[in-house]
Amino acid sequence: MTTINANPDAILDTHASRDNYLTHTRGFLSWAFTLDHKRIGVMYLVGVLTAFFVGGIFALLLRTELLTPGATITADPNVYNQWFTLHGAIMVFLVIIPSIPAALGNFILPIMLGAKDVAFPRLNLFSFWLWMAGALFAVVALMRGGFDTGWTFYVPYSTTTETGGVIPVVVGVFILGFSSIFTGMNFVVTIHKLRPPGMTWFRMPLFLWALYSTALIQVLATPVLAITLLLLIVERAVGIGIFTPSLGGDPVLFQHFFWFYSHPAVYIMILPGMGIVSELFAVHAHRHIFGYRFIAYSSVAIAIFSFLVWGHHMFVSGQSPLINTLFSAISFSVAIPSAVKVFNWTATLYKGSISLTTPMLYALAFLILFTIGGLTGLHLATLNTDVHLHDTYFVVAHFHYVMMGSALIAMIGGLHHWWPKITGRLYNERLGSLACIIIFIGFNVTFFTQFMLGSHGMPRRYYDYQPEFTTYHQISTMGSYIMASGFLITAWCLLSSLWNGERSPANPWGGRSLEWQCSSPPPHDNFPTQPRVGDCYDFSCVVWSEEENGYVVDRSLDPELNPNAPKRAGAH
Amino acid sequence: MISSVLAITASAMATAQATPLIGIGDDFWLPPAASTFAEGLDQMFHFINWLCYFFFALIAVLMVVFVVKYRAPKGHSFRTDGPTHHLPMELTWLIIPLILVIVIFWLGFAGSKTLGVEGYVGLITPPRNAYEIQATAKKWSWLFKYPNGVMSDDLYIPAGEPIKMVLRADDVLHSFFIPNFRVKRDCVPERYGYLWFQADEPTGHSKFHHLFCAEYCGTGHSNMNRRVFVLSRPDFDAWLAKEASWLDVIPDDELYFKAGPKLFARCVTCHSLDGTRLTGPSWKGLWDRINEGSGRFTDGKSYRDLIGPGKQFQTPEDYIRDSILNPAGHVVDTYSPAGMPTFKGQLNDKAIDALIGMIRHVDEFDPKTGQWLKAAEKKE
Amino acid sequence: MSSITAGTQGHGHDAHGAHGAHGAHDAHGAHDHPPFLAHHFESPQQQFDSAKLGMWLFLATEVLFFGGLFVAYAVLRMRFPEVFSYASHYLDTIMGGVNTAVLILSSLTMALAVRFAQTGRKAAMLICLWLTLAGAAGFMVIKYFEYTHKIHEHLVWGTTFYVPPDNAEGQTEATELAKEPPPAPLGVTVADPTQPALPVLAKVPATDAAAIKPAARAPSGLASPREMAKAEGIKTGEGTTGAHPSLHLEDRKMPPNTHLFFGIYYAMTGLHGVHVIAGGVMLIWLIWRGMRGDFGPKYYTPVDAGGLYWHIVDLVWIFLFPLFYLIH
Repeated sequence: MTTINANPDAILDTHASRDNYLTHTRGFLSWAFTLDHKRIGVMYLVGVLTAFFVGGIFALLLRTELLTPGATITADPNVYNQWFTLHGAIMVFLVIIPSIPAALGNFILPIMLGAKDVAFPRLNLFSFWLWMAGALFAVVALMRGGFDTGWTFYVPYSTTTETGGVIPVVVGVFILGFSSIFTGMNFVVTIHKLRPPGMTWFRMPLFLWALYSTALIQVLATPVLAITLLLLIVERAVGIGIFTPSLGGDPVLFQHFFWFYSHPAVYIMILPGMGIVSELFAVHAHRHIFGYRFIAYSSVAIAIFSFLVWGHHMFVSGQSPLINTLFSAISFSVAIPSAVKVFNWTATLYKGSISLTTPMLYALAFLILFTIGGLTGLHLATLNTDVHLHDTYFVVAHFHYVMMGSALIAMIGGLHHWWPKITGRLYNERLGSLACIIIFIGFNVTFFTQFMLGSHGMPRRYYDYQPEFTTYHQISTMGSYIMASGFLITAWCLLSSLWNGERSPANPWGGRSLEWQCSSPPPHDNFPTQPRVGDCYDFSCVVWSEEENGYVVDRSLDPELNPNAPKRAGAH
Repeated sequence: MISSVLAITASAMATAQATPLIGIGDDFWLPPAASTFAEGLDQMFHFINWLCYFFFALIAVLMVVFVVKYRAPKGHSFRTDGPTHHLPMELTWLIIPLILVIVIFWLGFAGSKTLGVEGYVGLITPPRNAYEIQATAKKWSWLFKYPNGVMSDDLYIPAGEPIKMVLRADDVLHSFFIPNFRVKRDCVPERYGYLWFQADEPTGHSKFHHLFCAEYCGTGHSNMNRRVFVLSRPDFDAWLAKEASWLDVIPDDELYFKAGPKLFARCVTCHSLDGTRLTGPSWKGLWDRINEGSGRFTDGKSYRDLIGPGKQFQTPEDYIRDSILNPAGHVVDTYSPAGMPTFKGQLNDKAIDALIGMIRHVDEFDPKTGQWLKAAEKKE
Repeated sequence: MSSITAGTQGHGHDAHGAHGAHGAHDAHGAHDHPPFLAHHFESPQQQFDSAKLGMWLFLATEVLFFGGLFVAYAVLRMRFPEVFSYASHYLDTIMGGVNTAVLILSSLTMALAVRFAQTGRKAAMLICLWLTLAGAAGFMVIKYFEYTHKIHEHLVWGTTFYVPPDNAEGQTEATELAKEPPPAPLGVTVADPTQPALPVLAKVPATDAAAIKPAARAPSGLASPREMAKAEGIKTGEGTTGAHPSLHLEDRKMPPNTHLFFGIYYAMTGLHGVHVIAGGVMLIWLIWRGMRGDFGPKYYTPVDAGGLYWHIVDLVWIFLFPLFYLIH
């Protein structure tokens, strides 16, 4: 049905006024001290994307150095060591961990709930200031001589290396940890307490399930990182001896502490991405997500299991074979919920009406890259193969497939999906799609070769390498340049839409969740009152409006919201 | 530069230029399977790989087929008959992967004779009669010590016998990794670690397996590579005997000439011969500086204050000897006090004499070719 | 004009106090919200529930934060039981006990303050808040005395533990220790004395690195510094101005790696002390707002949330006290 019921309650007011959150107040201070979750999300977005750019530069530098064995663009291995350390630390702590929750989540979560804001807006602003402070400390660390410890800061190297930036950057990461904790706290309370009428737990959009599970991990795991870093700072500064062998300490204890956080951290990175992908598939295939409950349960299951498997990073560290066996067995348990999700997403394409928009392309790219990344985790969870593959490029390839090829790709996909909502502009679809394809090709060229490099024995964090590995390294570096150009095109595509893009309707894609039922960009306080919701994956109420040049959600067609709605035939 | 000097210096004392045994070009995924359990491990790797190919193909094909078949029609109306759930299917694709991962875990842990998979248990259980070799990792070199006291920079092992490596590190974490044997274990300071392997096929002196450090340890992490030579038992015994006495059989007046470069392999990552400043001072001009007394230490004293008749070090040789055995005692100004480890217990008096001779004659040595430019100067 | 200044304190995690629930200044005129109800909440009940859940989540993070240190304690204790049973004698059980009583009492006064806020008894609430603050201050004062006493005795973390004090006796000790160390007792792993010391240490007074390395092992087998000094004809003990012997160095029964006990002691009690100070700041804020009349039966959320925080600070101490002071 394409007629629109004239009932004024049927469609939420999507262009209440020309005033939106961007124009509501003006001036630097109105942004620096804003309590509006949308503005905070936008500021995070700018920060995270800038950090991504900087981290990417370091990646390109190190890949360029690896074009030839020996010196290529620098003759000093210490410089190379700093590049890979900075690349890792910036990407992990400043980009991937905050990106989806803090940038996209902050913006979308309250609107998806029909709420005016998160539960603790001032805490939210404080989280952002902490992120800025963490970034500042990273800059200070660079000015104090940088750091070359690897992003994992293993002792005794990190307590004895003479580069002067170790303590500043560790302080910075400590601060970033609290930014993450407070965001997590905020999201858990918001989802528990601020849901609208009709939105029971199993009526929440899956993005919210993902953010909720992520927030649980953020709250429970990050404090352990905080104490680990505190102990590291104290160990380096005054030598209490807890990690230093010559003073009676144990370097492997550091690894246990570090990975107790850092393994759940990787699920902080991927879970929100999975949440976005659920939204992308449902909306752009115009179809109810397949297996909603399993996907929701598996998000929580992944969050819980993630705490039990940290030792699989330490199979050759010298910990006992018994512990190794236990960790290997439990690590496989995390594979199962992820596998279920992959099958469910694929099944969502079945009998859908798939629009190959840019967000859908990113979702499809995610499906392929996450499958590869996840499957190669099997090699690493398996005890005997991991002995060979640990600390080689195989691991580097695996985690880039899941962190970059999956989490980051999902983030960029989500960015394209919600770009019209956030900015009120439509970007050029052809350019966006082209960029996605270039990134996909470049990514695979860069990182698939690294699987072979690793299985042939090429170790990680090597400035120099044996000549037989040269060809693979060169192919990988070429891939990185291709990927970089893809990202530059994406940046151009999105940024130019701010000036040249067509104005966006409230609901350009045909989504059903609440964020598509307010204007693009949203007004300052989102919704005047929290609307009642039905099933956010029931697209039969979503109809095209010529006048809007976009979709609208006609609530009068939903029997849950309107008792007089016409009965619907067909599958539910 | 470092690796080429090392390779050249090493070859200056070895027989022919040896070449590594590698897999790139031969096998898509794996290097040569040179240990007794390598093939069993490769079976596991391939088993997982085939599972991966299958599931990847399944997902990719389904994805492409669905995208093509269920493309949205023109206009803005969409199908509504897509199923929202299907419990039997969902349980199937939960249970089948669960069974598969249990199988993978079990094969990885215990292995399987029927499937030819070597499990983790076999990897970590050294046979009782294994031949023990001690490996010590430090920034940035390896040292292998044999039961009869021989110390070697490269790893030589007898073919056909189980070898148990006793691993230690002197300073930070390192990791002992031989890709062709499929073995790896971190070397933790002040702890001992073990790993074992057995290689049945000799490489002789002209081919070797790579040994890498696989735990990031700083500047020279990528230049700690060593070579693993597998020798038949008689060859190995001969090598061991020769190594045990190699220094002893060199006449004193040829000591620096013959032994200097070989011993220098242990110094090369931190001391250059051409004036380049590395972790430690370059040996170029070092003898002159010591004799003129023009260098300074971190505590402000100059060489002249400490070296000379009646002073703490009677002769320059005394000072050099002390620097090798007790490097933290006096550190040259602008260098780090934590930079040089001691070589006490690793270099005997004859070895130290050889190195002192090399320092005296460093101008006659060409670091690029690893060759002496002049014949040995007879000692007066 | 909501005040955010309370949220910009240096230590990230004590800002919770300011953000438990946002108070009087967020009134949104368009709805008839009570003045203390933030504009994004539908009802005071929702705001209260959210604040409580938020505070409980924050407490969970504190449990995990300290939990890491408790794990470190457990690991060290398992590996060096003799160190723990020896070194715990140096802790003053009386002072620790008094501190425990002070904190437990302050938890009582805090709970009473919440109750009085709930029942609208402003004066009683303020008195209880002041008493709680006094408890916090008292705790820190006692802690100050404990710490200064220990530091004076050189019972500190890391290798400074082994540094003789900078006086005549200390110099003698330093000279003796710099000599070739005795062979290690059997079964003890000994660091090579000629190895450079790890890690690069902070400034260490009165002695050089060589003195510390052998002393990282027990100085067992050495003559007591007093005896050595006597042999040299140097004045010792009472009578020497300002001299304060580091008695622990003389104790021949001191096991190796005793410094680890003090390291973990200062880390845990120090971190706890930081949290007590943060709690004190929070109490001052609550008192200020209380005096202003912000709290009453309809709205006492910050007091409630603050109370929760104070109880966890107390709870952590209740675990620390027996683990360090009581068990041997």
